[in-house]
Parts: sequence; structure tokens; C-alpha cells
Amino acid sequence: MTTEGLMPVAAVAELIREGHYLSLAGDEAALRQLPLGHWIGGTIPYFMAATGGTVSRDQVFVQPVTGFAAAPRLRLYDAGSLPQLCRNAPDHGFSLLIVPAFSTCHGDFARNAPNYEDMYLKPLAGWVAGTHLDDAGHATPQVVLGSSGEFSAEHAVVMDVELPPERFAQIDIVNPFKPGDGDAISFPDTGFSVDICRVNGEAMHLADYLCALEVDTRLPLVADYCGASVNVSIKHIDAAARRVEFYAPVFPGLTYRLAIASGESAPPGIGGDVSPMFACNCILNFLYEGLEGQPAGALTGPATFGEIGYQLLNQTQVVLTIR
Amino acid sequence: MKYEDLLCQALEIEPPWQIVRMRNDLGRHQLDVWVAREMPRRGWIFGPRHALPEVPERVWRHINVGQSRCVVHAATTADMAHMALPWIGAAEQVFTHALSRQIATHFMEGIKFQSICKLLDIPAGDLWKFKHSLDHGKISLSGKDTLMADSGQAQFGIPEADHPVWDALLTGGLDIEIRALSLKLLLTKLRGQMQLISDPEVRQMKAHELHHYFVRHAIQLSHELAQIRQN
Repeated sequence: MTTEGLMPVAAVAELIREGHYLSLAGDEAALRQLPLGHWIGGTIPYFMAATGGTVSRDQVFVQPVTGFAAAPRLRLYDAGSLPQLCRNAPDHGFSLLIVPAFSTCHGDFARNAPNYEDMYLKPLAGWVAGTHLDDAGHATPQVVLGSSGEFSAEHAVVMDVELPPERFAQIDIVNPFKPGDGDAISFPDTGFSVDICRVNGEAMHLADYLCALEVDTRLPLVADYCGASVNVSIKHIDAAARRVEFYAPVFPGLTYRLAIASGESAPPGIGGDVSPMFACNCILNFLYEGLEGQPAGALTGPATFGEIGYQLLNQTQVVLTIR
Repeated sequence: MKYEDLLCQALEIEPPWQIVRMRNDLGRHQLDVWVAREMPRRGWIFGPRHALPEVPERVWRHINVGQSRCVVHAATTADMAHMALPWIGAAEQVFTHALSRQIATHFMEGIKFQSICKLLDIPAGDLWKFKHSLDHGKISLSGKDTLMADSGQAQFGIPEADHPVWDALLTGGLDIEIRALSLKLLLTKLRGQMQLISDPEVRQMKAHELHHYFVRHAIQLSHELAQIRQN
């Protein structure tokens, strides 16, 4: 019996009844049909399945959690307790986090996660729940605590997994972009929207700068984090208001540049004995690259409203492997 | 949750063990608690005294409660020693296992001897005794973190926390090729903070933070550590 990948609700329900620990992604209507059990979930109908990019409202993507040393802990966090996320995580293991898009938890995590206690010391992966784009305006992204059946648009849901001493979790990212060799852009404050920035040290409106260059807004700004390319995707340029909105915050103290293609397609070491326990891709990659119906490659999982590889990421694949 | 349950939780005392008696007048800023295995009952602070087992009572200094020292009294039986109860201590030791772990963590983080005495309100003589026992393997620490850290540092050849290589990494004086995503993100954050920090002690704390990361993840950082050891 298949225990992972995109599958019908009935098959997922069977896995839950068998007692498997699962991380699930699916449309709200599909998730609401599932029984109580050892699972966490988030709403999204976009997937990179083994058969290729898929949009489905009646199937659920299953990522089983196995090989743990003790029964994983499942719980909801509100915005007030979320900063304790890493501190509460097991000393040796990993945590899977799902956050509903547009919630206070989402915004707070995006801005403050790098400063959470024990951040980067304990592996943290996850994604941001969303909705079908046709439902924008009347549907709300939600997460689910499967053990109680509680759906929430305001809480984050977490599965803490303790591993045996000889195994450890590793989180990698696959970024189709890297910083280009163009102008250096920096920001004075943390924020999801920006008026003023500095371009090569000169203060100016970012909206003016991007419009003057006729920038393709499907390309993110990219910062170099000691060798890791971290994207901030452009949501909207309001030329009249001279304002740019992003899908993740920009941070001061970092240098951003317009993206160029990186050529990355898979993290090193995937394959053979090492297979991902969890992976996700970005809805923007799904849309901009026209991935519906296209082969998924080595990594399958939901196509989400944001990826979490320790901190919030955009237009990036995240993969968690156990080594 | 009741107040007494919260106190038990803070002191890492779990059922079937519970606090059966408490006094706060035996020492200045000192809370003495008596722990025993017994059935729950009401009014444990003001209730009747409980019969304790016919074995000698032992006393250890436990983790602080706020600004107060906490002293645990318990009549221990042989089987309790094998349970790794955080609120009892090893034979001949002054501190409970929980406080021992806390002190060891402070040592690992590079906090100075006198500072630990002040932070935890511990007499220097007691801390010397503990440190001597630790250095000579007379006591072991049940905390996973500490055990992993100790073996990690020795086994993987990680430079000491006060080695200049950590400052060089933090200031960008030394650049290495990093494979671990968590280290890339952490080092970026710490480098940003270092640009804003001028206080030498705080800068040293950042070096300890980075060192702690390497100790904790040594097994995954062979590529990075090979480059660091060359400096």
C-alpha cells in the first residue's frame, strides 16, 4: 500500500486509522473528511506529485514521518507562543511547521523567526498554507491539528519529532535563482513593503528604480546569506504610490540584487539511500514556470504560499532528509 | 493548573513524586522543599506532616526558584539513583542533577567561574568541589546536550570557545565554504549583529554562540571544521 504522495481521501483516512504519523496538504474540503489521528495539515490544492504538477481539490498529499525515537508531539501555537517554537523542539530531531497565510503568525514568523530562541540550532522545515487562487477573497488558508480535528486560520501547527542518536535531520534548499551582478540594493528597516531603499548607496524609491528598469517582477530580489541564496518575491509594484510589496520581508543589513537563474535543480546527496522525508515548492514557481502537468523531478510535495527552511523563504524548494 | 503543580513543574518534580512539605524560613532567600512519593492530598502546605520512609534524609541544592535558592530534602532509596531524577543529586555531591546540568551548560557557554557563582547564588567552595568532580570524571551529567557537547568538542577537534578563529568568522576576517544551511543563516545573522556590537563581552558572547553551534552539530560539519582547523 502506498504511504506517501498524492492520494485519494479514503486512502489517507486508512493511513490515519492505521496510526501513521503524517504531514498532510490538501484543499479544506478534502482535509475535513479525514478522521482524527496523528497528523498535521494545511490547506493548499497545488502539488508537485510523482506524476507531475497537479491541481486537485479532492486529493491529499501525504508525507509520512517515520524513524522517530519517541512518539512525535503535535500542537498548535498562537502568535504569542510561536517564538517558543524552537526552544520547545526536541534536542535531537526536527520540527515540521505549517502556518496559515495572511495570519498574524505568518507575519510575525516572517519578521522575527531569525531571532527566535534556539533558531538554527534545531532543524525546522515547513510551509505556508494557502487556498486555490480562484477562491481568493472568500476562502481562508487554514492549518489542522489532526489529533483534535481543530482547523485554524490564526494558529500555526507543529509536529516535533525526536530522532534516535545515530540519525539526524538535514534541511537543504533548492533555489532556481541567485543574486545577479547588478546593483546592490539595501533597506533601512524590516518590512513586507518598501518605499525607500538604497541602490549602490544612493537613496531612492524602489518602485521608481524597478519601473525604470522594466524589471520582470517574476524575478525575486536575492540576498547572499554566506553562500545561501535567499529570495524575496515581488508581490506588487504600485508605481503611483511609489511602493513595492513583497511576499516575505526584506531585512536591513543585507545586500539584495535582482535575480538571475542559478541552474540548481536538486540538493546534493538526494537519491540512493537518502530520500526526502519532507519537501515543498513555491506556488510562484508552479505558476511562473508553468509546472502544471510538468515532471516534478526528485522532489515532490505541496506548492505553497511560502516555504520554511528555518525561516520564511520564497520561490524556493525546501527539502528535509534524515541521514 | 494548581500553584503547587506549577512549582513541581518548575522544579522538574513529576508524579509519583511530589512536594510534601515546604519552608521558607531556613535561610535568607531560600526555599526548602521535602519530596516524597505519596498519594495526592489537599492542603499540602498547611496540612498534617507526612510519614517519610525510614531511610536517611539527604539534601541537595536544586535549581533556583526566581531569586531564591532551592534546597531539596529527600529520603532516597537505592532504586531512585537509577531513575536519573533531576531533583536528586549523585552521592557525595552538593547539587542536584538539574542544577549540575545548568552549571555545566554555563561552563560550556564560556561563562566565568565567578560569574556562575553570582548568577546562580552558589558558594565558590561548592562550585570548586563540583568542578573538580567534573574534571576528574567523578560525576556524570545526564543531560544529553552536555554529553554530546563534551564528546563532540574532543572528538571533532573544535577549537575552544575563546579561540580567535570564532571572532575571525564573525567579523568576516575568515571566510570558509559552508555547506550546512543552518550555519549559513546563523552566521549571516551573527555577522549582522557583530556590526552593531562594540561591547567586548557581548562580542565574546556571540563567539560562544557560534562555538556552541559547532559543538552541537559537529558530526554534520566535517567540511567546515576541516577549514577552521587550518587557521
